[in-house]
Amino acid sequence: MQDRPSADELVRAVREFLEAEILPDLDDPRARFRTRVAMNALNILERELEQEETLLREELARLAALLGEDPATPDSLEKLKARVIELNRDLAQSIRQGEVPEGTLERLKQTVTDKLKVASPRYLERYE
Amino acid sequence: MSQNWTEELGEPLSTFLEVPVEVERVELIPGGASKDTCVVDAVTPERELELLVRRAAGGTIYSDTLSLEQECKVLQAAYKAGIKTPKPYGYLEDLAGREAFVMERLEGESVGRRIVQKPEFETTREVLPKQLAEELSKIHAISLEQLPSLPGGRIGPAADYVLSTLERELDALEEPHPVIELGLSWLREHVPVSHGTVLNHGDFRVGNFLVDEEGLVGILDWEFAHLGDPVEDLAWPLVRAWRFGKDHLRLGGIGEAEPYLEHYNTLAGRQVTLEELFYWEVAGNVRWAIGSLNQAKRHLSGQERNVELAVIGRLASEVEYEILSLLERGS
Repeated sequence: MQDRPSADELVRAVREFLEAEILPDLDDPRARFRTRVAMNALNILERELEQEETLLREELARLAALLGEDPATPDSLEKLKARVIELNRDLAQSIRQGEVPEGTLERLKQTVTDKLKVASPRYLERYE
Repeated sequence: MSQNWTEELGEPLSTFLEVPVEVERVELIPGGASKDTCVVDAVTPERELELLVRRAAGGTIYSDTLSLEQECKVLQAAYKAGIKTPKPYGYLEDLAGREAFVMERLEGESVGRRIVQKPEFETTREVLPKQLAEELSKIHAISLEQLPSLPGGRIGPAADYVLSTLERELDALEEPHPVIELGLSWLREHVPVSHGTVLNHGDFRVGNFLVDEEGLVGILDWEFAHLGDPVEDLAWPLVRAWRFGKDHLRLGGIGEAEPYLEHYNTLAGRQVTLEELFYWEVAGNVRWAIGSLNQAKRHLSGQERNVELAVIGRLASEVEYEILSLLERGS
């Protein structure tokens, strides 16, 4: 096991550095904008480190239910990701062939909502 | 590079304008992957010229992006038809080794967030929806004979062409995206009546409109012009990604869709319905979801390493959320 700081603590350190020490000295609007974008990328990463595995497990359960597949969760994060990609591929293929399992829209909306909790929580808050 | 430009631009400009032209200043505007845009100031014995020069900077990004020569021809046709656009001066096959075209530089604001939010554009926001409807009706009335060969379906319902293009672009991503598939499946099942094939501007939305405090100054960025159903163009500015924080105003964060549609119908002599507009709004969102993922791909493939493009890939889920919300409403 690595010593501290942990992964999320390192990400936060870089984000705080950009915010406190780089951004205030930048005048060029384009450089300022890109720095904010970079900070946003680190924010996304921080949220992802915290929630990734839980959200993947939930996505797997929804996909398995839609496709009538084995809902068992693989024993490593890597295998979990591979399984979710595989099931998404099956679902995408099925929809392309005109077969849309019942409840697809609702379940996909839950998955996208979870993706947004990581990628863009403010979008969800202000969506009307 | 600036040096080359300055030296080589005077001669073709003198030919276009039939007077001696001296170039005084060339300044590259940052941004733009496949094309450079340069601010150019020049003088003739009679007047000062404020110009923009668009010049190739490498390969094109999307297969359906126009070459500079085509873009210049479309702009010439639009300008001749009395549409508010910068005046095109002409196309240059070889400007310091690359193709380019020269146009007038108009003054105004085009940054979407400012147009949607700044108090000084309040009057602009009031008049803009009708002005946009008017310009679009003129664009859609341009005779296809006056145009260069353009991407898009010339025969048959434009929706078929659009759907197969979107499907092909999605497949090219080589990743599964069930939400986008669901959007495409809805689009296949709800194809509306065709309103014929017309010139589409192709990127008609807030961000590509130049305005001042009184209203519209010019329609910019014609590089995605193609042939298609008029409603495709009409609905593109409704896509939520172009509302710049005023999400309740469906027309680009500046107005409601209904008066804009009504004004367009009156001027264009068409009877486009709200349902058809909705259909193409869904199609626009599907197009932009794929577009966002493609932007990230430019970064990931190494074509253009850029943190902005990288993050846009993650923001595709915003567009997916909008697609699903629209499908809920449309079912």
